[in-house]
Amino acid sequence: MIKRLIAGGKHFLGMYPPGRRIEVLPDDIFLVSYPKSGNTWTRFLIANLVYPEKNPDFSNINDLVPDVEGMSKRDLARAPRPRVLKSHQYFDPRYPKIIYVVRDPRDVVLSEYHFDIKRRAIAEDFPLAQFVSRFVRGELNHPYGTWGENVATWLYTRRGDPRFLLVKYEALQSQTTDELRRIADFMGISPDPERLAFAARQSSADRMRELEKKQGHLWSSTRETRQDKPFVRSAKAGGWKMELPEASVAEIESAWGGLMREAGYEVAVSNMVPAGMERG
Amino acid sequence: MIKHLIAGVKRGLGLHMPDRSLLILPDDIFLVSFPKSGNTWTRFLLANLRFPDQPATWANIDRAIPDPTGTTKRDFDRMPRPRIIKSHECFDPRYPRVVYIVRDPRDVVVSQYHYHRKIRKIADDSPIETFVARFLAGETCPHGSWGQNIATWLYTSEGNPRFLLLRYEDLVADTARELAKVVSFLNLSATPEQIAQAVERSSADRMRQLEKAQPDKNGLMRGSRKDLSFVRAAGSGGWRSDLPFPMVARIEAAWGPLMQHLGYELSTRSPLEARDSDSLGMLSSTPR
Repeated sequence: MIKRLIAGGKHFLGMYPPGRRIEVLPDDIFLVSYPKSGNTWTRFLIANLVYPEKNPDFSNINDLVPDVEGMSKRDLARAPRPRVLKSHQYFDPRYPKIIYVVRDPRDVVLSEYHFDIKRRAIAEDFPLAQFVSRFVRGELNHPYGTWGENVATWLYTRRGDPRFLLVKYEALQSQTTDELRRIADFMGISPDPERLAFAARQSSADRMRELEKKQGHLWSSTRETRQDKPFVRSAKAGGWKMELPEASVAEIESAWGGLMREAGYEVAVSNMVPAGMERG
Repeated sequence: MIKHLIAGVKRGLGLHMPDRSLLILPDDIFLVSFPKSGNTWTRFLLANLRFPDQPATWANIDRAIPDPTGTTKRDFDRMPRPRIIKSHECFDPRYPRVVYIVRDPRDVVVSQYHYHRKIRKIADDSPIETFVARFLAGETCPHGSWGQNIATWLYTSEGNPRFLLLRYEDLVADTARELAKVVSFLNLSATPEQIAQAVERSSADRMRQLEKAQPDKNGLMRGSRKDLSFVRAAGSGGWRSDLPFPMVARIEAAWGPLMQHLGYELSTRSPLEARDSDSLGMLSSTPR
């Protein structure tokens, strides 16, 4: 009863994260991705591009590029406009402008595996192959659907729409400033090359690792997690080729091969058409 | 402030509509469709089948097959399980089992146009051309465009044993057969006689009669124009006479391949031409 009253009071004061029920404003830009797909890095890139004077780091990133799942309704309502909002949500017809970051699911699952060890959701010796099966079946401890569901709901509804920008994590890795320029164009800002390079430098994996060492205990996503494991891990593409068992690769590819191909990922498995999507 | 307090008290008593905060149970079944695609009719069919002792009416349908935006939390909590719940939402990974009803968008737009006149959302003489443009842009309801709503479900769930796709047109053509599909999908049991009775009790004629007798008993039509009825043609293919040809062409250009995938024959262009004109259409066929 008391718990309910406290919850009611918090609700009344706007002190809860609205998540999917966020009030969308017409000039909002949503930075959307499945978890562990480079969202935090992209938040830093955008924050360093738009607010260089604020010295973006883990202590203020939530104010600069607020998280609809992690911040209160009240704080979200106070964010400077146009807001750039971080979200992991599957398709929401209300989002006006979207930067969607997609990452190879074979790397996503590895990243999630290490993150779940860091935040003690699984034991350190939890079998990776078993984790991959959970990942494919959508049995992870978050409400954003499977990788395939999340990506498909956005790609098949908004791709080609001028208010939707698809960014590949792998391209962001290999040509950071070029991709950041696309993002800037999409947001309607035209930075000079120095500013782009500065933002990329300020958001490099090395610098983010250093910041994490000093501030890991301050940031909501890492505060109560194991401090012996880093949040900013390898920050690379293709780690799955070394680390992921062959059977696990096959499991992922047979679940989402068609979609992976559509998103531009090379797939070894021969049957490429997602279940039920054959066209006769 | 007073409004806030009233809302707070209602919430405390469970008299609010839960909407997205509805607590979903593992045995819940969701009856999902884009608006104006036969959802209400299917609710009547399922209500009449499940609760034969209380024939479905406009007054009790929200408690038989509840609607998170039209049924109170208290009524939700009191329902027998498994619950069959109405929804117009785009893909939601929390829904455990889904019956998805799809209807030819050329008929959907005509139906929604007339419904919006009935509920006074648009003027009586509002041009259908304007409405079709808004319909294509997904601006006529908060559930995405027709193509978006369908794509989010098809590309995530088609072929999944926990997802049943029904076409409104098949439901019109052979109601008993399609209802039997739903029954077996839900692991319910029903004799052919029980199915026939549910079909009879949910006929368009009976629903029209009930609507006349209970014009204000349901949120779908409360306060709306009484000279237009909610249960309208209740058929398929009306677009051939009601929808101007250029509007048909625009809809087919936008969603041609998706429509073809669902078995809706195009009347205008080849799907390849339609593919070039729209991203959604382009993506609804899987490249080899």
